Amino acid sequence: MRVRVEGREVGTKESGCALCGSTWGDYHEEVERHRLFFCCDVCAREFRNMVQEVKSRTGWGRVEELEIRGNYYTGRTCVARSGDREVKFYVRFGEEGEVESFRVL
Amino acid sequence: MVPVDQRGVYLPSGPDLFMPRCPVCEYRSQDWGEVASHLKAKCDLSDVKHVMWLNRNLTSRELGEEELARSLQEFFSLREGLAMWIRRKFVEKFYGERPHPFIVAMQNPTRGVLLGYVLEHQHFLRNWVRVLAAVIFKTDRDDVAKYEMENMSVEFFGFMGRPPHYELLIRMGESLGLSRAEILSTPPLPSTSSSIRTWRSIAESRHWVEVMAAMHSLELVADRTLRKYGAKVHYFRESILDSQEFPEAVRDFLREGYEADQHHAGEALEMVEKYAQDPEAVQVTVLKSFDAFSKYLSARLERGMQFEPQLVKVVKEVIQC
Repeated sequence: MRVRVEGREVGTKESGCALCGSTWGDYHEEVERHRLFFCCDVCAREFRNMVQEVKSRTGWGRVEELEIRGNYYTGRTCVARSGDREVKFYVRFGEEGEVESFRVL
Repeated sequence: MVPVDQRGVYLPSGPDLFMPRCPVCEYRSQDWGEVASHLKAKCDLSDVKHVMWLNRNLTSRELGEEELARSLQEFFSLREGLAMWIRRKFVEKFYGERPHPFIVAMQNPTRGVLLGYVLEHQHFLRNWVRVLAAVIFKTDRDDVAKYEMENMSVEFFGFMGRPPHYELLIRMGESLGLSRAEILSTPPLPSTSSSIRTWRSIAESRHWVEVMAAMHSLELVADRTLRKYGAKVHYFRESILDSQEFPEAVRDFLREGYEADQHHAGEALEMVEKYAQDPEAVQVTVLKSFDAFSKYLSARLERGMQFEPQLVKVVKEVIQC
């Protein structure tokens, strides 16, 4: 799975957290059969929940690529891709990393 | 024995007052180097609260201990005083390079934006007076108690023959097509509830100076002088106040807040500066309040999206700018 945050490729300790781009922390999780780096388990939960939300809304079997922009303060706008299909959306998370708001753009 | 006040709140005294401390768990040390070392150790364990504090307040790029110590010292530096520190941080967070999307939406407010404001802000205002009551309960200063009682009157009961902001808010909602019953029976969105829980927790557990700073710093949002400190825009486009494009009730509400909050925030921050015995504790609590406020402003916009789904484009524009 290819992930970009603010235009920069992320997902390893060196490149940054797969959700927020931070290089603090040291937490890894497998998502969509890829081992990804996250700065904390809340970011990992948010990422997993976001991918699940995209899959359940689109019916896709997997998400192959994600572009994420924004942050905690603004909310995030994203593009998810699978093959030649793509969906653009806005997402904000709740206190426990749950998807609190999801709107297709 | 650890010094506490009659409510069990820790009272720093003597050398403790000048000891650097972790802004998350209040771990205290003799110097910023040790605090940096503590923060690094917590981050190596991916501790959520420590990582998030650094991400949201300092930098999302990992720093070495020495650089982190220097950054912390610089971040908490009070060379311009506590009130100015609060003012500058508020501008950075809400009016900086990427102003908060709700503030951007208020530059050209639509019916949806204003109704989002009404439906969430009623809960904010009802909680506001309850949190300020905690300041009155805890403080031993009469000027502070009087100040808070006047503020509560302006916001909630009415003052000098003028209707309270709470009533003006509801009238704004009515002028935009919702009934009073519809407004009052709408529960808060989860983000508003979460923010209110944060402020209530601050009111219950922190020193009254911190509570005062946490709440009244939020009134800076409508402070017209923020442009002097780097704000890119005002709270809303000022020409709205003189135009006929909105009902009179909308202009009345916006005008009242605009005229009162500058005075409110300025006077309260002067008191905070005067009475703060533990400025770093105030700084840390204010930052928590700013996080809650950001979440709450987003709730206003999301409520607005229920009336006008296209408002999501405002967020998109802010993020892409």
